[in-house]
Amino acid sequence: MHKLFLLIFIMACLLLGACGKGDDVAQAPLKTYRHSMDHAPGSLDPAQTSSIYANFIVVNLYDTLYRYKYLARPYQLEPNLATTLPVVSDDGLRLTIAIRKGVYFIDDPAFEGGKGREIKAADFVYSIKRHFDPETRAQGAWLWQGRIEGLDDWQTQGSDYDQQISGLRAIDDYNIEITLTRPFPQLVHTFTQGYSAIVPREAVEEYGQGLGNHPVGSGPFKFSSRNSSHAIMAKNEDFRKVPFDLEHEGYNAATQGNLGLESLQGRYPPFIDQLVIEFISEGAARWNSFSAGEVQFIKVPVVNFENVLSSVSPITLRPELADRYHFDATPEAGFIYTNINMADETIGYNEDEDRNQRNHALRCAIVKAFDWKKNNDVFFHGIGQVFPGIIPPFSSEFQADANQDYIERDVEGARELLQQNGWNSENLPKITYGITNTVTEKQVFEQLRSFLTEIGYPPEKISPLIFASFGDYYRAYSQGKVTLINTSWTMDYPDAENTMQLFYGPNASPGANSSSFNSPEYNRLYEATSGMAESPERTRIYRQMNQIVMDECPSITGITRTMLFLWDKNVHMLPDRSFLGGYFMRFVDMTAGDVTTQ
Amino acid sequence: MTRRLLYGIPLMLGVTLVSFMLMVYFGPDQTYELLGKNPTAQQITEVRHSLGYDRSFVVRYVGYLKEVVTLNFGLSASSGESVTDILKRTLPVSLALILPGFVLGNLLGLGFGMLTAWYRGGWLDKWVMTASVVGMSVSFLVIIIVLQVLLCTPYGLNMFPVRGWQVHDIGSWLYYVSVPTLALVLVTLGYNTRFYRAVMVEEIERDHIRTARIYGASPFSIMFRHVLKNSLVPILTRVMYSIPFVVVSGSLLLESYFGIPGVGLVTFNAITSGDQPVLKAVVSLTGILFVLVMLVTDIFYKWVDPRMLRS
Repeated sequence: MHKLFLLIFIMACLLLGACGKGDDVAQAPLKTYRHSMDHAPGSLDPAQTSSIYANFIVVNLYDTLYRYKYLARPYQLEPNLATTLPVVSDDGLRLTIAIRKGVYFIDDPAFEGGKGREIKAADFVYSIKRHFDPETRAQGAWLWQGRIEGLDDWQTQGSDYDQQISGLRAIDDYNIEITLTRPFPQLVHTFTQGYSAIVPREAVEEYGQGLGNHPVGSGPFKFSSRNSSHAIMAKNEDFRKVPFDLEHEGYNAATQGNLGLESLQGRYPPFIDQLVIEFISEGAARWNSFSAGEVQFIKVPVVNFENVLSSVSPITLRPELADRYHFDATPEAGFIYTNINMADETIGYNEDEDRNQRNHALRCAIVKAFDWKKNNDVFFHGIGQVFPGIIPPFSSEFQADANQDYIERDVEGARELLQQNGWNSENLPKITYGITNTVTEKQVFEQLRSFLTEIGYPPEKISPLIFASFGDYYRAYSQGKVTLINTSWTMDYPDAENTMQLFYGPNASPGANSSSFNSPEYNRLYEATSGMAESPERTRIYRQMNQIVMDECPSITGITRTMLFLWDKNVHMLPDRSFLGGYFMRFVDMTAGDVTTQ
Repeated sequence: MTRRLLYGIPLMLGVTLVSFMLMVYFGPDQTYELLGKNPTAQQITEVRHSLGYDRSFVVRYVGYLKEVVTLNFGLSASSGESVTDILKRTLPVSLALILPGFVLGNLLGLGFGMLTAWYRGGWLDKWVMTASVVGMSVSFLVIIIVLQVLLCTPYGLNMFPVRGWQVHDIGSWLYYVSVPTLALVLVTLGYNTRFYRAVMVEEIERDHIRTARIYGASPFSIMFRHVLKNSLVPILTRVMYSIPFVVVSGSLLLESYFGIPGVGLVTFNAITSGDQPVLKAVVSLTGILFVLVMLVTDIFYKWVDPRMLRS
């Protein structure tokens, strides 16, 4: 019998040894803000910040040339490391950007003597070049590809960092000159993104791919530690001293007067000592953690909408929660839609003109069959914003009074269309619907199948293609293996150009145009507007392009989700997850009652 | 011992080959996770090349074996962190999380198994078996969420944290591990009780136990000195062979819902994102762990049942 107890003793010893390893969070009293995110980011190398989660953190650790004003809506550009907005030549092809003097990278062993050095214009040039170096495995090249003179050639010539690029150069230590191949008014927006964050060459050479886990930047926070459940950042005490200006940041007393932001006036951000971001993908755990006060902010999971809202129109928080939390309901900067694979000749483009016409009718029948109201009610608690076409509510080009036919369900019309074009249950093509392996996506598929069944589509001809990861799904639809592509788009910058390019022919799969829609007229208009800034003329053309898409029925589109944010009353901030994203963290403040002692 | 170790080599080769084929060669393709928007064909080729996907099966498998032998799996494709560092950081956390529930679940299961075997057919047996079936029927997820609400939020007792792992000493460890342990015990107790009961019942019906009863040996003496001792081989088998699963994957749901940065969560993330360096490391270590468990179990068998030494 003593042998059994000896076994137990061995296990207990193992256990005690194991619990000696703990996650070391600061011991001193700190003003710590705990934020929750619904996914963990991947690499924190700015060149690899394709997800909103990585971008959210990276802009707190690194500097970008520009950001958006904290409180202004619609979003307005604001210099960050740059001193002013760019000086643009008359032809729109040459931009000159001055950067602040006396801004330093954080101390790190990568630097000589371990002391962070001053940021120079050449660091920005270097950081953009990295996206065109195959060794970096960067994800942001598409933003500048074919747009900056000489940058693509630099890549084909071997990505030698010591080789100068005519269109991207540091004139001196504090001035950058960019020469474009054609006007690109959205360029400044790209310099607000984590992709364009400025990294020191010394750190890249020191850490290589490990830079993703060892950020060396000049942002308002310094990286402390990270694991699969959270990231911890400490205030960068050496962050440049720029006083907070409430009016300049776009403060609106009528809508933001209750957020406690007035006390920030004239103070120097960041205002908190420590920023902890918890990665909680499970909705129930996120809600429980927020309810228990472990995190101070939550993007409310859809399943909790019912418990949180007392009414959906207007969106109103339950009184007992309104007493405890600040609340914001905001549309997501993007939309969800289902593309139809136009490269699939059974449903998309077909060289036979008759079949081409019949396929067009089939696609439009599918669009008519879709019940957006039910979809919104079931998956978005009825507070998503359904809109016709590809210009979502977030864009200034959005037309609130547009014809709603494209999103109105019309079962009879769909049946008629099928019948008139010779479609019946025998000859309708088999459809595959791509999803990743989640319960919600399977439910989305089943709902779509039920919609199509009602217009006479045999259910056995509609089958799901289930993928273990988004990467596998992306590969499959990029290779034309999926008929209906359930997808979404998060806008990169607040300009409808970013969604119009989703149906531009040359961007066909594996590009962002996953339907491989290719309308010569649409393409011509897109190219004609590519150098245009926002204007009534561009709006008119964009709406015309929107109509072309709806006429051709390459997509069942679309819905913009409404996000609900809750945060503690004593945390003074206006959270954002769109274009401002992680930039708001530097402006977060807390009253003394919330200062946590750990 | 040496012979056993030598037996382990083809086993490891088999495990690595099968796992390489399933998880790496035919597993998630990370190319498209790593591409930016609007990628060109050249960019796709470059990413595939940098991931080594354009190399032959044999070359990739040999490279994988080399990594296993040197225990150097490079950097995580997702975060850029050294895989060795990830494992060093996460394995102790998973052990500290799982071991109490694992030990308690087995000890309680053993206790209930002995009780129900002794009182077989009685009301205690019926009640415990019914409770076991109920316990086995309730989803682990439901147990976790209910316990979180009851013990960790203001809707319940609010005594423990919903999430986190800031362990510095025994006190903080107990604070963070209690609810996950309770969840693990609740979910495993039914299975354990039924298994151990079956083992005990079989042993209790043997002739020498009946003889001991006739001679008037006490229930304690019969159960602990004879029944338990003679049942140690199946018990050890169950416990020991659970260890690799417990260490690597058993903690997945707990880690995910309680925000505990252990190896289960890392593995899950690696599977969904196709982070092959991490996957390769975890799969290989699981294989190595299995071989080690086999060796240790063999030693334990001979220890608890000397007849095996002679055979």
